[in-house]
Amino acid sequence: MSFKQKNTLVMLVNFSLLLLYVSFRVWQMVQTDTFINENVFSMFGVVVVWAIIGTIVAVILSHLVPLIIKAAKTGKDKVEIDDLEDERDKLIDMRGTQVTYTAASLGSLIAMLTFVFGQPPLVMFCLLLFFGVLAQVIGDATRLMLYRGRL
Amino acid sequence: MAENCIQNNIRKLRFLHDEMTQQELARQVGVTRQTIVAIENAKYSPSLEVAFRIALVFGVPLEDVFSYGPVDDV
Repeated sequence: MSFKQKNTLVMLVNFSLLLLYVSFRVWQMVQTDTFINENVFSMFGVVVVWAIIGTIVAVILSHLVPLIIKAAKTGKDKVEIDDLEDERDKLIDMRGTQVTYTAASLGSLIAMLTFVFGQPPLVMFCLLLFFGVLAQVIGDATRLMLYRGRL
Repeated sequence: MAENCIQNNIRKLRFLHDEMTQQELARQVGVTRQTIVAIENAKYSPSLEVAFRIALVFGVPLEDVFSYGPVDDV
């Protein structure tokens, strides 16, 4: 598994957990009748911080953990960092981004449709947040599938 | 009807070059080992530049490494 693949895998796990968190929080708010501005915006804050910190931790993990394992296996102090990115990685990344943008656009459209059904803006905001994270998960999953399949 | 696809002789050429490893070929070409694996298994068609660099590493013309033609099992 290349550095890019490991990075994508860690990002996929991170954003899947974030998606679970968003789904659970919204479900909890609806169940306890606390679906109000304050709670939704605090959830938005958590999602933004989680996404930023999670991305940084993902990059560090996908760099450090394989290095530590390699150093432990070879017993050498200095281990080469294998973070080369070639044309195939770039092509897969581009296709993944394309899928992410398509999913995000469809999600935005669905979120906008809530207005048609007379739902409050808070519902639209939550759906935008949900589909934003979901689009990232779908994009990362597509990247991993492209790494395994024919391109 | 048989479909056309890009085939390659990289495995054979690696064998003829003292069983060159995929890692060594990747290093000389400037791509990752995973990309060499994908090219060798016909799962990825490289750019012209990478194709020429692979041919250059083996010291053979491009058509000795890659060919385009019908295959039964695509």
